[in-house]
Amino acid sequence: MASTTAAVTEPRTYLEYKRFSAFHRWMHFLVFVSFTVLVFTGMPLKYKETHWAKWVMDAVGGVTAAGVYHRIAALVTVFYWTCEVLLMVYVVFRNRGRGVFAPGSIMPNKKDWADIKGMFRWFFGRGPKPQFDRFTYWEKFDFMSLVGGTVIIGLTGFIMWFPMTFTKVLPGVFINVALVIHSNEALLAAGVIFIFVHLFSAHLRPESWPIDKVIFTGSLPLEHYKEERPLEYARRVQEGTLGEVLVVRRITWRTRLTDVIWYGITAVAGLAAVLMTVFIVWSIFS
Amino acid sequence: MIRAARRTAAIAALAALAAFGLLALSGPAAAQTLGPNAEAEKCLSCHGDQSLGTIDVGGAQKTLFVEATVYGTSLHGLLDCTSCHLGFKPRRHVAAESANWLETAKLTACGNCHADQFAMYSGSFHGHLALGQAGSNAPLCADCHVAHNVVDVRSTAFRRSILDLCGHCHGGRSNTYLDSYHGKAALLGDNATAVCTDCHGAHRILPASDPASTISKQNIVQTCSKCHPGANRNFAGFLVHVDPRSPHSNFWVWLFYAFYITLIVCIFTFGGVHTALYIYRGFKDGLYNRRGH
Repeated sequence: MASTTAAVTEPRTYLEYKRFSAFHRWMHFLVFVSFTVLVFTGMPLKYKETHWAKWVMDAVGGVTAAGVYHRIAALVTVFYWTCEVLLMVYVVFRNRGRGVFAPGSIMPNKKDWADIKGMFRWFFGRGPKPQFDRFTYWEKFDFMSLVGGTVIIGLTGFIMWFPMTFTKVLPGVFINVALVIHSNEALLAAGVIFIFVHLFSAHLRPESWPIDKVIFTGSLPLEHYKEERPLEYARRVQEGTLGEVLVVRRITWRTRLTDVIWYGITAVAGLAAVLMTVFIVWSIFS
Repeated sequence: MIRAARRTAAIAALAALAAFGLLALSGPAAAQTLGPNAEAEKCLSCHGDQSLGTIDVGGAQKTLFVEATVYGTSLHGLLDCTSCHLGFKPRRHVAAESANWLETAKLTACGNCHADQFAMYSGSFHGHLALGQAGSNAPLCADCHVAHNVVDVRSTAFRRSILDLCGHCHGGRSNTYLDSYHGKAALLGDNATAVCTDCHGAHRILPASDPASTISKQNIVQTCSKCHPGANRNFAGFLVHVDPRSPHSNFWVWLFYAFYITLIVCIFTFGGVHTALYIYRGFKDGLYNRRGH
């Protein structure tokens, strides 16, 4: 009885820390959907001799259909990449080139190198856990490898999509090289996202376990953020810009419903990622 | 009511019997149009025995069994056995009959009906080897068009079998083909994608050095254009048979392959170690027990 009363009187309005804008959340959604489609329609070609490759290809409607979905997802990729890069260019211009490598930036700086060393010291119990600003080095790597990798995988993909156009200028061996790069860059990207960086960053590490939903909700409890990114908090207090990132989050039936939808999508994509990871690992070691 | 039901059941049973009888009567006739003909039946009285075999000239065991249903339903199912096995008599064959057939008729019998194809084959690389050199292993007609099971070459089943047929002798080439997009798509069920014979031709396969070859410098662009309209010389310079794992196959392809494998191993190793240590520290410090977001 007491617990019911507690649940009813629990406050439904929170002061939260806004980490991602609606723009970033939509971009992430596009990456999330297109990346999954690209991996599922492309990886079977890399592991064409396996049973799962045949199974996945048949499940998505055959090689020709997979090719169509792969190209649609590629266009979505071009779209989100262009949006992100335009935003970055805009921000650099707006700040007149200042602060590109400043503490709150996504660009790598000297502190990241110190943080890597500091984290390894912490892993072995030989020092405190380093304090982070807005982005950690693994988040920077995650983002920059996607933005950079998209250029490589996109260019090689377009060479194979329009071989006739490209070979008006380039020798035919570029198509061979494009396939090797595209295929291995894809394995690298899938590994980074599905296992080694993004899965770790968003799900496995203690601060995120079992799921860090901030990319879907946009904000997280102030206390929690203060603890995770103390340097950004301190910096904003000092600069007097804390007010810019504070939002009032009201929990209503609508926010609950969107949470359920996001969790559903995440669960489906997560399971798909785990399945594909198992397939790839199995193929490499068999 | 019960009586009516019984009568209906009896009529139904009679009708079923009648239908069965008709089927039984028509059965042998239907079998005859599909199965081996009367002459073939004679041959099959011995060759229909699964255990029938002989010792080949080379000393290897060789089966002489012909499966009647497979032959009967093949494109040649209506032909007499002696249409191809020229000179054989329906009896225990004497050595001369077999020797004569193996040395001459086996090589040329197909040409009696398929003169055009045989002329192309005779002028091909395979034909030169098979017809010009005694004891050559080069394929004869029946090695690709399975002797007692000739199927339509336009069928999906035959197209899919081409990879294995060519790969039987050209294993390395067929592996590099499978690494190309054509090969990947073919393995995963795309029946429209190019297989060996679409580029190399079927009956008149010639080495690339021969100007008349479909893959010679003079003809390769036209060969690619069959599926890729507008193909140009650079496009035709795409290497179908390249092994990324060997620097001797194509240096640039190998270089990028080697670079990526190294990069993947380094990044995955670092990522794996970093994740494992983070999780280890997380457990050790009890960080997983705290309430998350």
